[in-house]
Amino acid sequence: MVALEAVLEIGSTGIRLMACEITGLGTWNVIDRSEMPVPIGSDVFTTGYVSKETILQCIKILKRYKEQLNGWAIEENHIQVIATSALREARNRDTVLDRILVKTGFRVKVIDGIEENRLMYIAVLDALKESLPTLREHSSVIIEIGGGSTELMLMDHGKMAAVHSLRLGTVIIEQNQQTALRTQKDAHRFLEEFIRNTGVNLSTELKLERIKTFITMGAEILLAAHSCGTKLSDRIFSITRESFFSFVSEVQDYTPEECMARFKISYNDAKLFGVGLLTYKLFLNLTSAEEIIVTDTSIRDGIILSRITAPNAELQQEFFSQIVASARNLGKRYFFDEAHANHVRYTALTLFDAMHKELGVSDHGRLLLEIAALLHDVGTYIRAGDHELHSEYIISHSDVFGLNKDDMNIISQVAKYHRGSKSLYGEAAFSALSRNDRVLVLKLSAILRVADALDRSHSQKIKELIPELRGDNMILRVEGTQDTNLERIALEEKGDLFESVFGYKLLLN
Amino acid sequence: MKNLKFFNRELSWIEFNARVLDEALSDEVPHLERLRFLAIVSSNFDEFFMIRVAGLKRKALEERGWKDASGFTARQQLLRISKRAHEILNAQYSFLNSVLFPKLASCRLEYVPAASYNQEQHRFVQNLFKDEIFPLLTPLRTDFGRFPHITNMRLHVAFLLNPLVDKTPVKMPFMPRNESFPCAIVQVPSSISRVIWLPSPDGKTLFTLVDDVITLFGSQLFPGYRVKESLLFKVVCDADFPVDEDSGGNFIKAMKKVLQQRKSSLPVYLECNSGGTKLKAYLKQKLGLSADDIYSINGVIDASTLTEIAEADGFSELKYPVWKEYYPAELDPDQPMWDILKHKDILLNVPYQSFGPLISFINNASRDPDVLAIKMTLYRTSGNSPIIQALERAARNGKQVTAFVELKARFDERRNISWAAKLEQAGVIVVYGIANLKVHAKMLLVVRREQNGIRRYVHLSTGNYNDKTARQYSDLSLFTTNPDIANDATLFFNMISGYSAVQVLNTISMAPVNLKENLLAKIEREIRFSSPENPGFIMAKMNSLADEDIIKALYRASCADVKILLNVRGICMLVPGIKKQSENIRVVSVIDRYLEHSRIFYFQNGGAEEIYLSSADWMPRNLERRVEIMFPVMQKDLCDRLKELLELYFRDNTKSSELQSNGSWKKLSPALNGESPVRVQEILYKGFKKSAKAIDASQPLEFVVRRKD
Repeated sequence: MVALEAVLEIGSTGIRLMACEITGLGTWNVIDRSEMPVPIGSDVFTTGYVSKETILQCIKILKRYKEQLNGWAIEENHIQVIATSALREARNRDTVLDRILVKTGFRVKVIDGIEENRLMYIAVLDALKESLPTLREHSSVIIEIGGGSTELMLMDHGKMAAVHSLRLGTVIIEQNQQTALRTQKDAHRFLEEFIRNTGVNLSTELKLERIKTFITMGAEILLAAHSCGTKLSDRIFSITRESFFSFVSEVQDYTPEECMARFKISYNDAKLFGVGLLTYKLFLNLTSAEEIIVTDTSIRDGIILSRITAPNAELQQEFFSQIVASARNLGKRYFFDEAHANHVRYTALTLFDAMHKELGVSDHGRLLLEIAALLHDVGTYIRAGDHELHSEYIISHSDVFGLNKDDMNIISQVAKYHRGSKSLYGEAAFSALSRNDRVLVLKLSAILRVADALDRSHSQKIKELIPELRGDNMILRVEGTQDTNLERIALEEKGDLFESVFGYKLLLN
Repeated sequence: MKNLKFFNRELSWIEFNARVLDEALSDEVPHLERLRFLAIVSSNFDEFFMIRVAGLKRKALEERGWKDASGFTARQQLLRISKRAHEILNAQYSFLNSVLFPKLASCRLEYVPAASYNQEQHRFVQNLFKDEIFPLLTPLRTDFGRFPHITNMRLHVAFLLNPLVDKTPVKMPFMPRNESFPCAIVQVPSSISRVIWLPSPDGKTLFTLVDDVITLFGSQLFPGYRVKESLLFKVVCDADFPVDEDSGGNFIKAMKKVLQQRKSSLPVYLECNSGGTKLKAYLKQKLGLSADDIYSINGVIDASTLTEIAEADGFSELKYPVWKEYYPAELDPDQPMWDILKHKDILLNVPYQSFGPLISFINNASRDPDVLAIKMTLYRTSGNSPIIQALERAARNGKQVTAFVELKARFDERRNISWAAKLEQAGVIVVYGIANLKVHAKMLLVVRREQNGIRRYVHLSTGNYNDKTARQYSDLSLFTTNPDIANDATLFFNMISGYSAVQVLNTISMAPVNLKENLLAKIEREIRFSSPENPGFIMAKMNSLADEDIIKALYRASCADVKILLNVRGICMLVPGIKKQSENIRVVSVIDRYLEHSRIFYFQNGGAEEIYLSSADWMPRNLERRVEIMFPVMQKDLCDRLKELLELYFRDNTKSSELQSNGSWKKLSPALNGESPVRVQEILYKGFKKSAKAIDASQPLEFVVRRKD
């Protein structure tokens, strides 16, 4: 019997449904699609709250979708309900989620911006399967302008250079236009400035004018592709720069009514269509891409993909390496000591692997340790003194591809405790974590402190570390140097947590 | 191009009804079938007056300056309609009364009017009147402030009364108080049949009409009065009431309200016999009609209710030879269609082919354990139809069943409401249409979970899911599992069941989203590909052609040398054969025993031919105000079959008329060009008969020998 999967996505402008028939490992057929407009975004981006009417509307739609999915006899655990930026930002999000749960039985997962980026990445990767090499040849950007946020990934020769979830979306712009900015012209100027500033910031991570490949997804750009692009394959379209520009200027003059008539879209979508395309145009202007690659895919495909692809070692590895690349770029941005960071990463992971069985920490925890090791010193960019506090701040306010807010929070805590002798308990941020996460932070910080101590001189004297558990002792055999005095002192100072968390005495050989 | 010519929609419709009458007048048609055609002319007129004329009358009052595409104001149209309708009705009834009835009589099927009753017949109808008719009659008095309500499209008898001089009138409830014009009206009861079969000892079949009997014995209703005059009449009233489309969940309630309103709407048409002239004048005044609205007939009126005569037992020589309905040769009636549909599409052409495959398909779906869901549009269907029963059963068997019931299907509203409720009780999800749009598309989707995945079976049709009309209307439908069509079918149902906002479909075109746009694009494409050396080619068959944008595109195409053949049964606003406008367009119309109902569109497309079937006519109503579909037939052999079929429709020279540029229709005849006669419906029937025979003959000849091994 073939498995069916369904994803419902509560977005800024509407709720969408996609049901698929899984035909093989990583392949599926879409068998059902629906979309219903709901103004969640315009509620949230003006008042901060989802209004009562909108909640009722959502519930009505979700009930209909439930009926619709019943027609396919899809089991409940094969239905994913996710929500993106609008609901994420709603101040009454918890009550909204509860209403939905009580009334429809759907448990909604709110996806954060960077998670959205990750889903988008795997969706695009899947859509581009055959054309992947082009990503490796040049610098490229993957971008989706949504209703409440813009997801953006910069890739340098196939390696993730930066990821961002910008608070820029068509619904937000449209709202601004309606309230503060009044005229379309003002709104466009606002938009241009915003994007220029964004471009300046992004350029520190990757020279935007070097970008040759401009990859997009989303309903608006897909509609444009149908009108002025060429179809390259089933799910890939291309629009040349010129034809896109002329299409955008043509559409700018349309009233929403004209858009509706020409493109067969709802009034709400029609209102946002011009602004959405303009935003793409402004981003495209920052790059030197000659064409826009439009992929007919969405975050919903990403969800399906992450549901159905069995952990494929190679893909997983590729994915981890993108995460690491993204973190490394964040470090570069703050002029981190890369050699030291690498060394700490090496020793921390070596320790982790040696104690693997003792730790009770998942592979994901190992990844968090790896990123924390890379980024633990970024705070020195601000000031060397108390740099662990600055690291905490920077990390918790930055985006790393593939990691969600909770992950970044844990990493920032681990980085915070990589030095100093404060007790973790009593700290607000630490206490706010769940019990499991607190234990995770303790374990990872304990390892990180040891790893950091082993390169106290920041000169990477230790070439190889061979840890060995013997009785109550963790014996650290090092090769490459005899002079480990500095490290020994550092270990005295920073090994305390390790010893108290794991109960082993550290011995440096 | 300027000053394009168009025919007026209403006048073109009237010519259609005139062609139906022509069929009745044709000597080649068996007598009882001619009677049937006369009945059709009459009920066509009823509907026409109720909707179109009533609408024009309103328009004449509300929008004085309005003119249609042909340049007529509403008032000018009404005048022309009245003139032509009078001509047609006169021809219709003089034929009925002075030609057809005598002809039937010579075939031993005789109409006996009241004046000709012999003693025995008189006694028979008198008893019948006393026992069965009198108790059903409710005379209405006319002397109250308000004139009594005259039920739409039902026969009534009006009596002008005179008090008997020598007697003081008995105090009776029916006694008219208005002594100056004592008039009472009686509705001819609808619960008994209009045709009364008289005892006929000598092997003849004799009949009379209930209105004859009521007229004859009417005086018995009014003791103390003498009937001075009587008049048999029928009134048609305005029936086009807008429903409150925003009533949402309470749409049924709003619809019921409309049905109530319909009872008291304005009269627009009066048909009567040549009885009392005073009564006629009185009714004219009371009903607010003008002389143009009155159609008086010598003899029997209201042919629409005479079909029972045509259904009389026996008389097979007066009827069409029986045409059997054949089960499609490629299908085994005892086998579900699941397997065969995995390999190929099946085209069904009712009524030459039986509607059976569809019924058994739904029946199988309702019982098949692997079927998950059934979705279906029901526009006009009968309440006790096997389809409704199958849907109910499917819901009871735990399948998700969704039925789209179009309550606004004209005249069927009341019936629709009742069986819709029945479906809901069985657990069917019933969707009562879409606000402001009628769902006219005919589609059935069955979702089945099979060994290697979900498979969707789609049936798309040009005709309604109605087992009764499938015996009289010629329609085409397609069974397919083509995944692209299946995807579109799913999205289509999502849109019309409130699961989704509009999404553009890939292979199916949908009105009011993109059907018209796509049709126009296909015509434009034909223009692009056309050159004098290699002219483009369009063939289309439909019921009506009235969309100005489409007609203009066809004119442009004609000017670009595109050859255009149109087979339009009814209204055609396109004017063919005009220089620099439509010289490459030919329009013909086929009227025969089956009602032509299929819509087939063919585009040459520079050699990559495309053929489509559709539920939609090329009328603004269908393309803009209804949910309709147009779907491609993609399987090569079926395309070829459809193309041949279309070509055949243009070769017919016995039941076709060709539209002239002056608006008249010229009946085609093989004699005209010395051709051999071609009658498309007969050729089709014979074709299906032959292939059915071929199947019989190809049954393997096998001896099953019984012996011990």
